[in-house]
Order: sequence, then C-alpha cells, then structure tokens
Amino acid sequence: MMDGTIIETKNLTKVYNGNIKAVSDLNISIREGEIYGLAGPNGAGKTTTINMLITRIAPTGGSATVGGFDIVRDSLAVRRLIGVVPQDFTADEDLTGRENIMMVSQFYDVPKAKAKENIGRLLKLVELEDAADRLVRTYSGGMRKRLELIIGLVHEPRILFLDEPTLGLDIQTRTQMWNYVREIQQKLNVTIILTSHYLEEIDALAGKVSIIDHGKVLITGSPSELKASLKGDIITMTLTDQKSADLMKTVPGVIEVVDAGPNTVKIKVDNADEALPRVINFISQHELSTIKLTVQKPSLDEVFLEYTGRSIRDEEGGMDRMKTAMNLRRARQ
Amino acid sequence: MSGLWPLTVRELKKWVRNPTFFFTGLIQPIFWIALFGSAFDITKFLSGPSGSAAASFLLDGAPNYITYIVGGVLTTMGLFTAMFAGTQIIFDRRLGPMGRFLSSPIRRSSIVFSKIISSVIRILPQVVILVVAAYLIPNGLKFVHGFTIVDVLVMATAIILIAFIFSSIFSVIATRMTNMQSIFGIVNLVNLPLMFVSYAMFSKAMMADWLGNIAQYNPVSWSAEAIRTVIINGSLTSSQWVQEGRWLGALAALAAGLLLLTYYLVEKEIRD
Ligand SMILES: Nc1ncnc2c1ncn2[C@@H]1O[C@H](COP(=O)(O)OP(=O)(O)O)[C@@H](O)[C@H]1O
Ligand SMILES: [Mg+2]
Repeated sequence: MMDGTIIETKNLTKVYNGNIKAVSDLNISIREGEIYGLAGPNGAGKTTTINMLITRIAPTGGSATVGGFDIVRDSLAVRRLIGVVPQDFTADEDLTGRENIMMVSQFYDVPKAKAKENIGRLLKLVELEDAADRLVRTYSGGMRKRLELIIGLVHEPRILFLDEPTLGLDIQTRTQMWNYVREIQQKLNVTIILTSHYLEEIDALAGKVSIIDHGKVLITGSPSELKASLKGDIITMTLTDQKSADLMKTVPGVIEVVDAGPNTVKIKVDNADEALPRVINFISQHELSTIKLTVQKPSLDEVFLEYTGRSIRDEEGGMDRMKTAMNLRRARQ
Repeated sequence: MSGLWPLTVRELKKWVRNPTFFFTGLIQPIFWIALFGSAFDITKFLSGPSGSAAASFLLDGAPNYITYIVGGVLTTMGLFTAMFAGTQIIFDRRLGPMGRFLSSPIRRSSIVFSKIISSVIRILPQVVILVVAAYLIPNGLKFVHGFTIVDVLVMATAIILIAFIFSSIFSVIATRMTNMQSIFGIVNLVNLPLMFVSYAMFSKAMMADWLGNIAQYNPVSWSAEAIRTVIINGSLTSSQWVQEGRWLGALAALAAGLLLLTYYLVEKEIRD
C-alpha cells in the first residue's frame, strides 16, 4: 500500500470442481485512483477473478489483498471497503429502485440522512430520478444496469468493481454508460476495476489493462502502450495528383509507403503521433497539397489477435448467444 | 452490520404487496378449518347418550370436534407455511439478490433469519383468522371455560415456535441446495407424515399403538396438545400445568437448538 497499490494478487488461482481451472496464477497490481481493465473473451476468468476479490468465492490457491486486507482472512473488512456491480442483476424486482438502494445502504450502516442525500445525488447522476419510485420489474435493461451501478456506490466505497457493466446494452446506452463511469471516477474519486469482453470499452475507459485468456494474464499495460507495442499505425493520404503521391514515397523516417489507389498512398509508421508532424513538414516543404488524410491506429482487438493468434470476435458471438449463455447459467443453478 | 432489519422489512414488503400471496394466505385458514373440521369428524357416527360419552372420551372432553382440532389445524397451518421459507432463499439465488447479499458486509445468518422471522410473522394473521372462522362456523369452536389471555399466549407461543422450528429446518436445507425441485420434493415427502403422525387431527386413543408412540416425538403433537389443553380445560390443574410446561418447554428447547445450529451452519456457508 506504500506505493499507492490498492489491490495486489499473488498467483491467485481458482479451480472449480477439482478440474476447471478458471483462473491460474494471476498476478496483478492496481494503483489507487485508476480505472483498471480486465479484458478477455467469455470464459476467460474475469468474473471468477472479480468474485474472489470481492470475497464472494474463496480462491483455491495464491492470495490477494484489497485495500491492504487479505481477501480470505479479512473478508469482512474487504466487503466494507468495496462497492460491487456484479455481472448479473441483483436488484429485487418487487421493490422500487429507491427501496433497493436504501436497503443496501442499511447493509453498510450508512446513516439515514446521509443515505438519502447520496441516493438523491446518485439517481440524478444516472438520470433515474423519475423512475426511482417505480418497481424495478418495470425497468428496461439499460435502466436496471444504471440502477445496479449506483447501488454499488451508495456507501461511498473507495474501490468499485464493475463486472461487464454494459453487457446486453445497445450501442447508445453503452456510450452513455461509459460517460457515467468516467464521471463517477472523477467526481467520487474511486478506484475502479472494470471487466469487459468489449475491448473498445476497455480502451475507452481504462488507464491500465490486463488482457486475460484461459485464466492467465497475457499482457498488462496502458491501452496506448499495448497498441504502440504493435508498431504499425497507418496514415492514408490522397493527394492532388499521382506525381505528388509518388513523391510521398521518399518521405523519411517511416517504415514503408505503398500505393493504395489513385493518387493515394498508405504510410506505415511506428507511431502516428510522432510521425505526422514529419509527414506534414515534408508536404509543406515540397509544396504538395492533400485532399484527404486519415490516421488509423491499431485497436486492442489487434493486440488480442497478436497475443492469442485468434480474434476476440470469433469467441464473442452475437448478443443472442450471450443471452442464451446467461440464461443457461441461471438454469444450471 | 447485521442486515437483519432491512432484510426482514424487505420480506414483509414483498408479502404485503403481492395480492395473491397475501389474500390466499388469509383465505387459507377458513378453508382449512371448514374442511378439516368436517372431513375428519368421526364423532358424527356416535349418537345417543352413550355415543356422546364415547365422543367426549375420544375428544379428551372437548364439546365438539372443531374445538378438539383447532390446535391441530393451527399447528399444521404453521407447519405448511413455514416449510416454504426455504424456497425464497432459492429464488434469491436464482434472481440475483443473493449475489448482492453475499458481497455485502452483513452476517450470512441474517439472510436466513430474515426469512424465518418473516415467515413467523406471516403466520400470525392466519392464526387470528382461523380462530375467528372456527368460532363463527356452525357447531364451531366453543370456549366452555371462557377465552382468556392464557389461551392467547399459549396459542401464539406454540405457533411461533412451530413456525420457527420448521422454517429454520427448511431454510438451512435451502442454503445447501440450488434446485427448486429438490426442495419441493422434500416438502412433499414430509408434510403429510408430519401432519398425520401426530396428535394434530386425532387423539392417541384413536391411533394404532405404534403410530401413537411415534407421534409423541413429533413437535407437531407438542404444539397441538399444548393449545388443545388450554382450550378444552380453561383453567388448568397443577398436573395439567406440568404437562403444558413439558410441551411448550420441548418446543422452546428444540427451537433454541435449531437457532444455534442454523446460525452455525449458515455463517459457515451459503451456496452461491
Ligand atoms: N460456478 C462454476 N462452476 C464451474 N465452472 C465455472 C463456474 N463459474 C465459471 N466457471 C467456468 O470458469 C471459466 C471462467 O468463467 P468466468 O470467470 O465466468 O469467465 P468470464 O467472466 O471471463 O466470462 C469458464 O470456463 C466457466 O465455464
Ligand atoms: Mg463474466
């Protein structure tokens, strides 16, 4: 904790039923105040990792501390410190949104006046004030996710766990959710541990990410570091004529330049942020003019591909498959 | 940090808000007393002066069968309602709230005790309705020696203890089970034996010897007899008080044992 580390795992392992190795020898270290992403396809072990850190299930090997407390020996202290937004809905459908949050605030002994104040503020933050006194049964999927988000925050936790906060939501609702998460991190100053199988979500939110697959960490870093490590931003330029396009092939300090259609070239560079000024200088020196210029950086999807040899899209399946999987999970229990 | 209060309030809110659940729960006692009171009334075959003497003997001196079985019906109703306390635990696991409870800093046992307490509370209005219904129906409940505060206290104590005993047993079973069908299976397996291998509907004199002997160890018998004794006799003799104390004492001891066992088992583990 001295260096601002708030969560640390040492060879954290979970084996289900003696043979399903869901998480194996996981080592991660999370600093106070950051948004830390756990990214990986379905079945990678993200939820299992979260469930161990929130003391809902016990590890079968290794250890971890959350806020300085051991997750097995001091599980009660850990629970007091954290807020949790699990992957599945937890609100009681027969109570109103407000009653659900109020009940959870009582679990943490938040004084009533304080709880009321927090609940008002949180409902406003996720724009649920109008629906707060309706039964949760009448909420849409997006509303329920938003409710879950603030239920996890009512006792002002220092650490918030968000397991797949946008699972099952449509694109607009997802980006809205991202804004809420950013706002929460800035306004409430909490450390957030976020899991997602949408890599663009991790990219958009997390300051640091561990990509996990089959229960193992493949690589850890900031999303920009990970993408930069792939070495291969593409600058695509369309110029006024073919002569200018050909001249671009002599631009210095790039990996390669290839033709990409009429009057168009693709320039491959290590890092577009640094290369772009050089390219633009070159253009003005030679008095060329550009009609179109786009910069394409590798996404975390390419990073995943690089480290696993396969695309995360292959695993993901459609939303329908996700829902089926969730229902099956329920049915199995 | 116990969580018992908010969780119990939640259960009661759900109960009051669910109209079907609420009203069927209130109508049920009327059905029970009407059906049991006439279905099992064997004294109707006895007539004449010798017949009524025999009936009085079979009914431990009660003026009619309804008066005799009201304690048994109250107890059986408590038993049936309590056995379903466990199903709510399985629903909470299926529908998600359990995940929230298990990651909150509340006592594990308060999750289960909130179910037990609320199922005990749910039974109390049923008790009132059943007694009123039994009193109002033709040839119904007769308080030959008056209706006193003692009758009320004994009835309430016995039913609360019975409800506590069976809801804690079935709740603990539910914390170890993930499947709704299994718990219904167990309920169906034991409900009728618990009811019929007891003095709830018939006195020991009417039972086969072996059945009567087993029935004396059934808590359903203890509760039924405890209520019956005060209703039939009104003011008790000192030897009747000793017997009354034994029945209520046995119920209380069993409930206390189950309280500790439930606490111990549930704090140790609730299946996720
Ligand atoms: N309760 C359980 N019992 C047995 N296996 C499980 C259980 N929960 C998860 N698993 C298995 O563990 C692996 C990791 O699952 P999970 O942690 O849910 O992954 P993710 O959240 O990344 O999708 C999967 O293979 C899954 O089938
Ligand atoms: Mg998951």
